[in-house]
Amino acid sequence: MIRLGLRNAWRSKSWLATTAALIAAPVFLLLVLQAVADAVERQTAILKRTVDNTLQLRARGSMGHVNMEGNKDLLPQRALGIAQRAAHVSRVEHYLLAMTPTEGHNFAMIVGVNPGETKRLESHGEAGNPRLIAGRDLIEADRGRRIAVIGRGVARWAGITADHLGEATLTLDLTRTHPVIFALKRPPVTLRIVGIYASGYVFGDMQLFMPLDTFREVYGVPEGISWLYVQADSVDNVRQVEAALRRELSDAADIIGPTAAAEFEATATRTVRRLAAGGAAIAALLMALVVFFVTLVNVRDRTRELGTLKALGASGGGIAASVVAEALALAALGAAVGAALFALLGNLFAKPFFAVAVRPFLAPQYRDSLADALVLSGASGAQLIAWAALAAVVAAVIGSAWGVRQAIRLSPVEALRHE
Amino acid sequence: MNKPVVRTVAATKIYRKGAHEVRALDGVSLAAESPALIAVVGPSGSGKSSLLHLIGAMDRATSGEVAVAGRSLASMTDAELTAFRRRTVGFVFQAFNLIPNLSALENVMLPMEFNGVTPGARRSRAQALLERVGLAPRASHRPAELSGGEQQRVAIARALANDPPLVLADEPTGNLDSKTGESIVELLAEVARERTVIVATHAEALARMAAAVFHLRDGRLAR
Repeated sequence: MIRLGLRNAWRSKSWLATTAALIAAPVFLLLVLQAVADAVERQTAILKRTVDNTLQLRARGSMGHVNMEGNKDLLPQRALGIAQRAAHVSRVEHYLLAMTPTEGHNFAMIVGVNPGETKRLESHGEAGNPRLIAGRDLIEADRGRRIAVIGRGVARWAGITADHLGEATLTLDLTRTHPVIFALKRPPVTLRIVGIYASGYVFGDMQLFMPLDTFREVYGVPEGISWLYVQADSVDNVRQVEAALRRELSDAADIIGPTAAAEFEATATRTVRRLAAGGAAIAALLMALVVFFVTLVNVRDRTRELGTLKALGASGGGIAASVVAEALALAALGAAVGAALFALLGNLFAKPFFAVAVRPFLAPQYRDSLADALVLSGASGAQLIAWAALAAVVAAVIGSAWGVRQAIRLSPVEALRHE
Repeated sequence: MNKPVVRTVAATKIYRKGAHEVRALDGVSLAAESPALIAVVGPSGSGKSSLLHLIGAMDRATSGEVAVAGRSLASMTDAELTAFRRRTVGFVFQAFNLIPNLSALENVMLPMEFNGVTPGARRSRAQALLERVGLAPRASHRPAELSGGEQQRVAIARALANDPPLVLADEPTGNLDSKTGESIVELLAEVARERTVIVATHAEALARMAAAVFHLRDGRLAR
């Protein structure tokens, strides 16, 4: 009976062509939508890999520089433990900051950092990536020792060259003032310079990194934190980590979170995903509707034949198998045509389709940029076939259900009398 | 005396359409033995086809009893009636009713497929049946490629596929010219030597060859 159903699907070329075209159109639409959604998903994945997923915490309303006018408030030390214990936190780094005047009204930033942790640059989004160009970096053995690594700009100001590293020293006069810097009643301190780094930016090179323990001793800061960096284990969990920190530290801390990925996820990706899902549902519904009407026409055309089959003893299951097999064959052919059209013309249609059907629903900041950023390509062969096959099976089974019911319920006598 | 293959007792069939009621069969009682060629004759609308539908388990009697091969059909479910038709009855229709997308051989194999016969067995039996009706060379042809007489021969071979004790033929020569009709009548008469063949017909030649003739008029037997 399945074979009979499959043969019936091929009974007329014009019938076959019309039905295949009617089913191919929504399959094509479905695959285009899928391609757009996939492209946006890929874009999001790239964004998630490349964006910073690190939160920065500072004392409320303060930059956290221990000797800076109006900005010397520090985060309480307990913030470190709270961050380390929070769920979905993969890394916590804390720093102490101070300023020192250099020449004129310029100044350099002094940073207390644990050896091995990121050397962050205040001037460049606080997340720069300075590279060592001479000497060595801070190591565990440097903790508590008067040793520092300096930027190329500081080295130039202090007259330190790569040749003299290891012997070179730099003396910080903590009493010297600058319009925004407090004069501290602390004795000067001489640091041995062991490395020079370069960041590629003038202001980024104006920093000095010393071990955190050394900083505490030099500036007389036994506890407290200037900057606390909390890295989430995934960009998806940034909001959750931020919420946890806000619950515990909202009175004490300003929490600055990266928003790009989360916002993109919340706006563009979600919108496109919803549109794609809605469009896919409409396309699947269209396919099912086509199959529905095709099956009804088919059952009407084959009424007499179905009556004969019943008279000969075909079971209800056999009749159903025959009708569903025909619907599946037609849907599969339509899906194959739709998939082939997509493989040939998908890229051509996807961008205009995105512009017309998706763009108006996006947040303004993504409307113009996203389409250009998308790499719209046909899904890989296996994926394409899987999607088309799934759509065909679902549409055939759902769409033919009513026709199958009609066929099974046919009275053989009535069917045989059908003209 | 042979045991009757078909027995009806006061079989009545009433078709209702809204308030309108048509009494297609009205208290028909008959018995048909095996083997035998039985003719049911009568003018159009006399109830011949309705009687064949009741005997062939395609329809249920409104009242009365219909028993075929010793089994009463009244208490059977639809699925049981389907299985009963598959095993017990072969049908030959006026318009042949072959499946257009299947070859002659495949048409003959079809009832055996419904009956769970293995593909190999049904193919060899179908070939033998086509041989018997003289159409072995046309086995691979589709119905549209066969003449009316050839199509009816295929239909008779199909009716014999599951070796049923009863074959029902509804106006089997109605769509054929007289010469071709005669050859079909001869074929049915030959089939009737081994089983019961009940033919609803206008054909005098066929009625003359029948072991028994039942005359139907306005749904009643007028013997």
